[in-house]
Amino acid sequence: MSTAPAHARSPLITAELVNKHFGPAHVLRDVTTSFFQGEVAVIIGASGSGKSTFLRTLNRLEKHDSGRIVVDGIALTDDVKNLDAIRREVGMVFQQFNLFPHLSALENVTLAPRRVRKTPRAEARQKALELLARVGLADHAHKHPHQLSGGQQQRVAIARSLAMQPKVMLFDEPTSALDPEMINEVLDVMKDLARSGMTMVVVTHEMRFAREVGDRILFFDHGQLLQEAPPAQFFDAQQNDRIRAFLGQISH
Amino acid sequence: MNGLLSLWPRGWTREQRSSATIVAAGALLVAILILAGRLLALLPEPIGPSAAELAAGTLITVELTVLSGLAGVGVGVLAAVAKMSPLRIVRWPADFYIWSVRGTPLLVQVLFVYFALPEIVPVQLSDFNSAAVALTLNVGAYNAEAIRAGIQAVPRGQTEASRSLGLSPIQTFLDVIFPQAFKISLPPLVNNIVALLKDSSLAYVIGVAELSNIGNRVKTATFQPVPVFLTTAAIYLILTTVLTEISGAIEARLDVEQRH
Ligand SMILES: Nc1ncnc2c1ncn2[C@@H]1O[C@H](COP(=O)(O)OP(=O)(O)OP(=O)(O)O)[C@@H](O)[C@H]1O
Ligand SMILES: [Mg+2]
Repeated sequence: MSTAPAHARSPLITAELVNKHFGPAHVLRDVTTSFFQGEVAVIIGASGSGKSTFLRTLNRLEKHDSGRIVVDGIALTDDVKNLDAIRREVGMVFQQFNLFPHLSALENVTLAPRRVRKTPRAEARQKALELLARVGLADHAHKHPHQLSGGQQQRVAIARSLAMQPKVMLFDEPTSALDPEMINEVLDVMKDLARSGMTMVVVTHEMRFAREVGDRILFFDHGQLLQEAPPAQFFDAQQNDRIRAFLGQISH
Repeated sequence: MNGLLSLWPRGWTREQRSSATIVAAGALLVAILILAGRLLALLPEPIGPSAAELAAGTLITVELTVLSGLAGVGVGVLAAVAKMSPLRIVRWPADFYIWSVRGTPLLVQVLFVYFALPEIVPVQLSDFNSAAVALTLNVGAYNAEAIRAGIQAVPRGQTEASRSLGLSPIQTFLDVIFPQAFKISLPPLVNNIVALLKDSSLAYVIGVAELSNIGNRVKTATFQPVPVFLTTAAIYLILTTVLTEISGAIEARLDVEQRH
């Protein structure tokens, strides 16, 4: 999606030698990479390879044990002020949507701007309606999550994140919980978002999306970032046997 | 029992039905309290002549229940939150409170607040206030468990979504977790309050003139235990039924997902 080469711009997120354990399990091993302004990075890898864990360290839903993560110039530490500042700038979309079931679609989208950014009610509402229209849900603003299909719920969740005007959006398998016929409506919204210049880090098993929209593919293997490469090189000129085996399995 | 809820016209929405039920049952409760004296006066001996006392006893029972019930929900929320605190200084007092209240008889607690507490802190509460405090603390401890279970039943993803949007832990609790938890906790909370209505009869031991106490006095004065006990039991049954109706309606009102 980008025109200038990624490295020519400043990194929005850098991770240096990030390690993470769950008890005895070493789930992230010396992960080092950067994400650049306007870039769409796609993370793939086998189940349990640490993709979600890595994504979740980027807004500190998980703490890393060692190494350094810097988001928009702020290092991720236990400092609560930093943490709140970062979470406002980093949007996250979950596999299970995690919409607030007791609130309407509109209220789901307005909650954070009203509480965190102190946006006045009318303005927040106006913005939310625009965002819901942008994800194709103008007519569903007053429905509760249980009245929406999975695809619609995930689009509300995307609108909800966008309402905070984040600098980067993290997606953790946003289409994995959806029925096949709903996957494309969500991917289309994400493609739109990528085209608008949003910085995105996407964990997905949708290889077509990765190839079409991704600027860079990151492959995780047993907690290691085994390879990063542009999609053409990654998919069409893959030298690594393990990755070739993985791609072979996925395409069936 | 969901009697009233199904009485309303078919075309009404769930919200209209439950609102109507809350209003109707509330009005019924007030009407019972206002009219109890006159209705009981219509009954033959030995109830008729004691109608005014029985009505006054009913009122005291309802007052004790409503006051302690509302305060007990507040205490329950505080104790539940404290019990889940990562800070030991906050968690331990809550643990101790819940453990000691649930592990001792209510009768002992009522007697303790009335007789022993004034020796420890320099305030002597009236018999009614002592009973209200003891009942509040008692139901609060049981409510705390119900509310804690409700909070724990809200999926982790809700907290994660809220925190990742930048809401603070307190905002996350108030706007996201608590409304969902309260709905889950409502059925056990209602059970606790119905139990409270019945348990308020223990205020009898410190001389509060609530319904069972009055019933006992009337029995002693008239030597006719059967009609007196039947009448007091009937009043308790009517009150618990109305309470259950109101709470059923509140539950339906909060049940946005229409699972019922
Ligand atoms: N909260 C946790 N406690 C203990 N172990 C965990 C926890 N979260 C993840 N793990 C373990 O860490 C490893 C990496 O998990 P992670 O969820 O990051 O994998 P993933 O690449 O996202 O897999 P998937 O494709 O199945 O989502 C796995 O072995 C998993 O069992
Ligand atoms: Mg995962």
